[in-house]
Parts: sequence; C-alpha cells; structure tokens
Amino acid sequence: MSDPVFRSALAHRNDRNSVPGLSIGLTEISDRGMIDLRGAASDKKFAGAVKDVLGVALCTKPRSSASAGDITVLWLSIDQWLITCPRSAASDLHGRLVKALDGIHSLAVDVSDMRAIFRLEGDNARVVLNKGTSVDFTDGTLGAGSVRRLRYAEIAAAVHVISDAPCVMDMYLFRSYADYAWSYLSKTAAKASEVKLFGVQVGIGV
Amino acid sequence: MSGKPYRLSDAGRLIDRSKRVSFTFDGKTVSGFAGDTVASAVMASGQRVMGRSFKYHRPRGVVGLGSEEMNALIGVGKAERHEPNLLATKVEIFDGLSAVSQNRWPSLNHDIGAINNVLGRFFSAGFYYKTFMWPQAFWKHVYEPFIRQAAGLGKAPTGRDPDVYEQVHVHCDVLIAGAGAAGLAAAEAAAASGLRVIIADENPRLGGLCDIGGGLIDGASPLEWAKTRAAALAAADNVQVLTRTTVAGHFEDNYVLMFERVGDHDPSITAAGTPRHRLWKVRAGQIIIAAGAIERPIAFANNDRPGVMLASAARGLAARYGTAAGVNGVVFTNNDDAYRTALMLKSMGVGVARIIDSRTNPESALIDQAKAAGLDISFGSSIAGVMTSKGGKQIDGIKMSPYNRGRVTNETKVDCDFVAVSGGWNPAVHLWCHNGGKIKFDHELQTYRPDRSPDGLLIAGAANGTFDVPGALAEGYAAGEQAVALLKGKAGKIAKASATQEAQAKLEPIWFAPATGAYNEGDKHFIDQQNDVVASGLELAQREGYESVEHTKRYTTLGMATDQGKTSNILGLGVVAEATGKTIPEIGTTTFRPPYTTVSFGSIAGAHVRDRFLPVRRTAIHDWHVANGADFEPVGQWRRPYCYPKAGEDRHKAVTREILAVRNKVGLLDASTLGKIEIKGPDAGEFLDRMYTNTFSTLKEGRCRYGLMANEMGFLMDDGVTVRVGPEHFIMHTTSGGADRIAGWLEEWLQTEWPDLKVFVTPVTEQWAQFAVAGPNARKVLEKLSGDIDFSAEAFPFMTMKTGTLAGMSVRAYRISFSGELSYEIGVPANQGRALWDAILEAGAAFGIEVYGTEALHVLRAEKGFIIIGDETDNTVTAIDVGLEGLVSKKKRDFIGKRSMEQSFLKMDGRKQLVGLLTEDPNYVLPDGAHALEDATGKPPQKTLGHVTSTYMSPSIGRSIAMALIFNGRARMGETLSFSLDGKVVKAKVVEPVFYDKEGARQNV
Repeated sequence: MSDPVFRSALAHRNDRNSVPGLSIGLTEISDRGMIDLRGAASDKKFAGAVKDVLGVALCTKPRSSASAGDITVLWLSIDQWLITCPRSAASDLHGRLVKALDGIHSLAVDVSDMRAIFRLEGDNARVVLNKGTSVDFTDGTLGAGSVRRLRYAEIAAAVHVISDAPCVMDMYLFRSYADYAWSYLSKTAAKASEVKLFGVQVGIGV
Repeated sequence: MSGKPYRLSDAGRLIDRSKRVSFTFDGKTVSGFAGDTVASAVMASGQRVMGRSFKYHRPRGVVGLGSEEMNALIGVGKAERHEPNLLATKVEIFDGLSAVSQNRWPSLNHDIGAINNVLGRFFSAGFYYKTFMWPQAFWKHVYEPFIRQAAGLGKAPTGRDPDVYEQVHVHCDVLIAGAGAAGLAAAEAAAASGLRVIIADENPRLGGLCDIGGGLIDGASPLEWAKTRAAALAAADNVQVLTRTTVAGHFEDNYVLMFERVGDHDPSITAAGTPRHRLWKVRAGQIIIAAGAIERPIAFANNDRPGVMLASAARGLAARYGTAAGVNGVVFTNNDDAYRTALMLKSMGVGVARIIDSRTNPESALIDQAKAAGLDISFGSSIAGVMTSKGGKQIDGIKMSPYNRGRVTNETKVDCDFVAVSGGWNPAVHLWCHNGGKIKFDHELQTYRPDRSPDGLLIAGAANGTFDVPGALAEGYAAGEQAVALLKGKAGKIAKASATQEAQAKLEPIWFAPATGAYNEGDKHFIDQQNDVVASGLELAQREGYESVEHTKRYTTLGMATDQGKTSNILGLGVVAEATGKTIPEIGTTTFRPPYTTVSFGSIAGAHVRDRFLPVRRTAIHDWHVANGADFEPVGQWRRPYCYPKAGEDRHKAVTREILAVRNKVGLLDASTLGKIEIKGPDAGEFLDRMYTNTFSTLKEGRCRYGLMANEMGFLMDDGVTVRVGPEHFIMHTTSGGADRIAGWLEEWLQTEWPDLKVFVTPVTEQWAQFAVAGPNARKVLEKLSGDIDFSAEAFPFMTMKTGTLAGMSVRAYRISFSGELSYEIGVPANQGRALWDAILEAGAAFGIEVYGTEALHVLRAEKGFIIIGDETDNTVTAIDVGLEGLVSKKKRDFIGKRSMEQSFLKMDGRKQLVGLLTEDPNYVLPDGAHALEDATGKPPQKTLGHVTSTYMSPSIGRSIAMALIFNGRARMGETLSFSLDGKVVKAKVVEPVFYDKEGARQNV
C-alpha cells in the first residue's frame, strides 16, 4: 500500500517480500478488505439483503466459498461468513451491508485489519501446509474454492484454496500471529526440507 | 585380537570395498567400507568390546544385528551435535564420523566400576531399594554423586543443536510397518488398488531378512524378488516408501508416529539444511504390521561375554558386511534356524567348532545339511559356562554339558572364540500391543503371538508368528488384499510369487542352561543385559514376594532399559516360570509401550524451536517497543512492555518515572491486547444482564459501564468496560488474558443454554490498536491532533464514548480510566495503529508525554484500589469479597453466579475480604503472596490470616502500599497485622484499599 499511514503485520520483517530458498511462493496479501458477517442463512430477508449488496448469494455448504467480481464470500460456520473485497472498498461495502440489514437480526463488522493473509503457491504448498496441520491437504478433497478452518502450528487459521493447478492458496490468520506464522511457513517451506509425497522415488534398494 | 582375518574376502553384500571410510571409535581411527555400520567396521578391525554394562561394568560386545541390540550403545558426533545411546548396529559410517563407547570410566579397557562385578552379591535385585538408605545425609553427598558418575548411559550434547528438525502430517489408506517379505507382499497387494500406501522400514534398505532367512521365491533367492518389489514400489505414484524410518508408536484411531533419520548417515544432507530427523504423524485407514521377529537368547553362565551374540547377528554380519564374529565359533540353539548360521559361516570359511542343540533327537532337512557339511553336532546338550581371559574380554572356549534341569556335574570343554546363540524367535508384537492389540501364548513357538486387535489393524509374517517364507508371503498378500477390502477399495491384479522352504524340526524351550556351582554366585546368567538383570535376581524377586510380572519388572528393572526388553522379555518370563513352577501364560507379560525404539528430542520439537518455540503475539506497536528499549513481559501469548528503561535506569527507576509522568503530565500506553467483542441483537441487553453481575440493559447509547463477570460458582472470572454503541449493539472489553476465553464463554452460553436469545457475538480484538492517553494533559494532547471529536469535559464526559476522526484516522474514543487520571482510550484499525501512536507522541511532546508499561499501569491502578482479575482474584473470590457488592444486582431475575452467591457460605462473615495494607516502615514493600500470621513470632505451622495480592512502592504517595485478602478483613480496619519475613516481624495496618485520590476527583475534570 502506498498509504504512509498503513503498516501491515509484517512491516517489521525484511523478508516480507521474499524469503530466499523456498520450495513454494510465499507472499503477503495486504490490499484485501474483510468483513465478518453473522446472520441466519435460513432467514430469507437476511439472505436476500446480503445477496443484493454482494451480487452473490451466501454459500451455505460447509467449507465452501462463492464469489462475484472482486467480492468473495468464505464460509466460516453455519451463521458466519468472511466477505473479502479490495481493501479500498471495504468501508463502503460494510456501510451498504449495515444499511441493507437494518432491522434484520445480523452483525456485520469491518475486520479488514484483524487478520493477515499469506499466499502460498506451487506444487509443494499442500505438503508445506501439512507440516503445520493435521488436516489432509493432499487427498484431493480440498479442491479449488474450498475453505478450511484449522489449527496451523499452534495457532488458529483458515485456508482458502484459490486454484488447484497451479496450486494457489490463501492462509488467513490473526494479525498478532503473523510474525510467528511467517517464520513457521518460511522454515518448513525451505527447499532443503522439501518432502515429495506418493510419487516416484530414487535411492530405494534392498 | 587385531591382525586376525575378521573381514571375510568373499562376503558382505552391502559393503563397497572400493570405498574406504575412515572414522574414530573412542578416539582411535578405524577403517571400514562404505555400507558398514559402526558395529560391523569396529568388529572387522578386531575389537569386540563396545561398552561397559550399566551396573556391573562388565565388558560387552555386539549381540544383535539391528534395533534389538542392547549392549553396543555409542555416542555419535561432537559437542553440540553429540547424540548418546545410539545402537552401533544401526549407525552407518561415513568419513569423519566420531563415535565413543559409553558407561566406562575412565576407559573401555580399564574400568573402575568393574569392581561392582566383584561386589556383585551386594548389587542384588532391588539393590537401589535396599542399599544406600542410611545414613540419610549420605545419599545426597556420597551415594548419589558416586552412582551418577559410575552409572548412566551416555552424555548429553554440550550446546544448542544446530541442525534442523521437522514434522509432517500425512494421511494414507494403508500403512505397512516393515518391508520384509510379508511387508513387501502386503504393499504390492495394497498398492495395486490405487489406494495411498505408505511402507516404512527402520533399515536403510528394504527386504528384511530376505537375504539371510532362507527359502526360495520364484525359484531364486528371496532377495532377488525383494529387489524387483522395491523397484516397483519406488516407481509407483500412489506409494510412499520410507527407509531409515521406524514406526515408533501406534495410538488411538490408527494414529501413528514414524521417526525418520533423514540425514544421520550422510553429513552433507544436514549441511545443506535438510532436516536431520523428521517425525511423521500419520493417520492411516488400515495398518498392516509386518515388523518381523526378534531372536531371543538363552541364559547360560557368563552369556554376556563379548563374542556371545545372536545367531542371526553372526549370520547377518558375515553376509552383509563380511564381518566374521571370530575365527572359530560355537552355535548354541534349540531350533533349526541357527543351523543356517552354522552352514553360512562354514561356507564363508569361518570355523564352526560345534553346534550344541538342546533338543534330544530333532530331524530335519537343515540338520541333515549340517551333518552333510561335516559340522559336529551335540544334541541334548547345553552351554554350562564361558571361559574367558583378559578380564572377560576374550572368549577362550565354552563348557558343554548334557542338558537337564539339575546341577551340572559333567562337562566338556570346547575351544572357540565366539558363540552364536538362538533360543527361538519372538514376533515383534510391540506395535500390535501399543493400542490395545491382544496377544496369546503359542506353545509351538514358545512365545506370545498376536490374538485380537482393535479395528484397522492387521498383521502378517514373522510379526504374526509365521516364520517361513511361503507363509509370510501368503499372509502379506492376504493382509494387503484384506486392507483394500476393508477400505472398500478396488482390488488390483497382481502376479503373486510362489515360495518354498524346507520343513523345520520343532523348537523345544530352553530358558536357563544350568552351570556348575550355584547360579546366584559368581557366574551370572544374564537376562536383560542392558540393565544387568540376571536370572538369580528374577528368582530372588519371586522369593521376596514380587510375584506379579509387573512387580518383578520394576523391582529388578527387567526390560526397563532403552531397548525395552526386546530380547529379554520372553526369556525373563521363561526363567520366572521355571523358578515358580508356573507356565508362561500364567505369568503373563508386561505392557508394550511406545516408542518401539528411541525417538530424538529434536524430532519431537520439530520446527517449534527458537522464535517458533511458542507463538508470540505482537501488537501493531511491537516493533516500536523493541526499537525503544522496552523491557517485555509475557501476558498470555502477548509480549507487553513492562517498562521502557532509559539509559542508566533500572526497572524500578523506569517504572517510577513512568508513573509520575502519568500523574503529573501525560502518559501513553499500548492497550491493544485488551479483549474486544462486538455484541448485537434484539436480546443483547438481556444477554449482557445475564453474563455480568451488574446491569447493562439500562445503559444509554454512547455510555460506558464497568462490568464484573462471575462463573456459575459465583467467583469472579473477568471484568472490563462495555459500551452501548446502538440500540441493540454493544462493544465489550475483556482482560487481555481473557479475550479468547470470554468470547468462547459468551458463544457457549448462547449456543448451549440460551439458543432462544437473538444475539450475535463477534470477537474483534485484533482489528483494533488501542491506546490509553492518561494524565492531566491528556485532553490537551488529543485536542492538538486534528479531528472532529470534541474532547471538552462538557461534550465528552467521563464514561462516555465517541467515534470520529483523529489525526486523519477513523477512531473510537472512550473516556475511561484505569489510572484514576483524566484518561481516554483511543481505538484505531490495527494497520493504522503505528501512525496514530506516532502522531500522539508527536503531539504530546510539548506536554511531556511519556510511554508507560504494564508495571506502571498496575501500580497506578493499585494506588486507586482497582482490582486485577488474577491478582486480587484466584477463582475463589466473589464480587462481595473484593468489596464490589454494589456491582452485584439485587434487581435482576438472574445472572450467571447469582444462585451460587446466595449460598450461605459465600455470603457469610469471615471470608477473605479485600483490604489495603500500609506497612509500619513506609519503605518496606511486602513480598507478593506474603501471609499475615496469627502469631508471627511463633513456630510453624502457623495459622494464616490471609495473603498479599498486590504490593508496590507507590511513587504517587511516596510510600509502600499493598492490597490483601484477609479473613474478615473489613472488620479489621485499623488493626495491625504481622508478617514473618526475612527472620523479622513486619507489621502493617489494615486500611481501605484506596490510597490515592479517594474521592476520584482527578479523573473527573
């Protein structure tokens, strides 16, 4: 961000733009705004009002996402979603949501600064995630569009699978843990630590 | 012994004679070949003694071929890379490797502790329990230092481990533990289905005992078949083959820990930054245990002498490394398998003086082969003793006698320099048993074998007690197919190999071979060599009443060493059975616990080291704090500045300066860690009324109120200021440490008890950077910043909140005070936090602004008598106890803790109550937690009158202050309490717990 007032959670790290010697692409995404939305998916008025504002219906399938244009909705629980949009549009979008939901039981909060977002890219990204979480990222069930909340290393996080081939995933985590998570990802994603799973292997003999 | 031809010229399939490798053992250079282990290379050099035993310090040599080894424990690597207690039989050599023997003092050849061997009768079973007990003071100063010097296994590394370790979670459909014939067959059958298969083996290579186990597969050596299987598995895209990887533990729901030694065998791997060890955390659909079997020894007199080894080890050392155990050996057995050792050694040119077989008239093809090869065989015989020279370090021969259970009266001497012994094989049932698999005694095999198991666990081959190649292969294929079927996978087509193997004569049990003389004197029959447990010790334990096998184990330490009794377990049970006249199944067995073999601490830590040891939470201002010399303290996972010492200041001086800045000028605090929760809905007011002891439904918009939160027991659990920002909308502040817990607490009550309440709760702690601007100049500082908020006393009274812009940023401003001063808390989105922080500091410079830390915050609030949850409360303290009865609603129908607080014992007089304390000496600061005593001059034990909860030197009033929870404290106002501290009696007067600005005038300006 060019805004001199803005400092991301990794602003203090020299390696925030690139960590040398990794087996994956690892970058911070700081230009994304986020809105936490709570409401009852079964409430037609709520669902309708939200769809009118977002241009996309709230996804109700667990661990899924939906998007329209530059707005993406991540399913967090049966009555909670994380809506992402360009950071510069977040305040306006939040305002429009609050207005549209006036009188409807719901809670929309602009939480654009609450989380850090890291993008992981490359064939090895899924195995790298599995060095920090027991959720299986390699069995094919978490395809493009999936959203998985999980425990990563020792913190809470969520992973949104953007695309499968090439593999692109966004990890969401609370801002105060950004430094810790960046360190853990950098360490376990080192090229020298690369683990190839279920494929042709060399050096196996009797 | 050196100079003799211990390296055979035509054997050793794993060594590469074109590549010499040089390493050191106890500082002496040893030359071996690529492919050697430390054990095979050191033995090939002519050295047999590899260590001293734990208790008696007897010289010991290599006994096993792999992970069953119990004697040849070595330390490998230097300084911070030193790792103790590795098995010489598993450590692969490389140029420059440094290995040392263990448990010898001062050296392997001359060992002072060996005196213990002579004094052995005093080191009987349970000797730790019997000796060194008196006089008591001797334990600490005499016995323990001596024992610690003389005993112990290995040395710890000297510094921080420079290597990298990691863990990885992997899921698979079928996990196969062990890659011998059965494991390879199982993997082939499972992999053909296309399911995800992991096959792991602790050895550097696959194949198990295919090279030395006999039999034929598809008409050729099983090794040839194993080669093709290994290649096929390595080429498959649904199979993960892991070598040097031990399946160490099996847990609930097929969770498995696997320990991979990635870089131990080649320092260039770790030099590149690759993890040295990797811990695999695997969740498997089905697990097939194909862990093989472990040969068991026989207890005969002096069976621990270097040169006495398992028959499979003597065979394997020769076949794999070309290392001969000696020049002329004796094979002692009760089964056919050891005949393979005799035949193989003889074919390689190693002398075999005699096969001593305890069975009377066995007949089989292998025995016929031995006879045809011209080997001398003595049936119905056993070894009655081992003759040694050089202090037990060299075997000169054995004493052979007819085998019977009585005392030996007639013996024949047989010259030899090594003994290969086999008492049969024990299935490696460890993994099977880790998570509840049952075992049963098999009279044919004279050992335990698998019985029932939990779901998802299969077993095949030698681990299942099926030792012949055709049987192992068939079981392997069947287990692989069964695993696929259980997972509802699609069976794949494979061309199954066919195997043949000669029939074997039955094994006959022999546990204890009698010796000349009483067996509890002189000559020892070792059962557990690593812990120096002897047969007489087990027998003594029975006589002393330790009849349960679990008691015997703990009393004698049988099976409690690092090898966990791999070779000694069944042997010990056999000896106990004979000593008690019971059968082994009547004796039972001890518990098999993970890990199967040792797992490194590095792998357990994984990447969780250094800055990743614990997650440290950083506020948006953290790097400013670091750059400005903050002295941090942990608050939950946060690091908060305790104070900001300037040059020449200690903590105390810094805190004093910061406090006075707040009282006299203005201070700035990073309060971002405070919990913040948005609460909204038609029932939000009612919900808060139930969660807090006081009332919030009546709070007006834009107003703040301090709330107390109790748990169901009526005890205080959190506090903080909540503000109403809309008709149905509140923002709650919690303690820093309580942020996540309270958010969960609110959500839990909504979801489980009051689903009818229409309320949403969203924690937003991290969205906001929040700062306290406190002190007489606070208003001036904020007014100096541009913005649209009117900070005047009239427009912005105490306990109200406003939103607006400040220094160009959207903020939430709260006029609340934890210091008793004119004070505002300003919240701003976290990514702008630093900009606002800098702006406030700049604006405040003219007004003498100083940053302050948590300690100044704590002193400031204590001067005002404000409580801190966790200091003044400890989960047994109510709102009434801390004097906040006014915040416990009498009107509300219900709230959490109400019913409990109405119990008589929470309302009664005489409970501990919060009071202030002023010491007689104004410069004396009571220690935190100090107890007021009824009679401070008396002898302990003393009755306590209560304890100090917060205690400080107060710069604002220029004397020490304290808060305390004192029994019936409010009735003691004016009384003097006594403390016994530093050998003196310290007196303090009970006062109201507000020390500064009692009327609260300063915050209301």
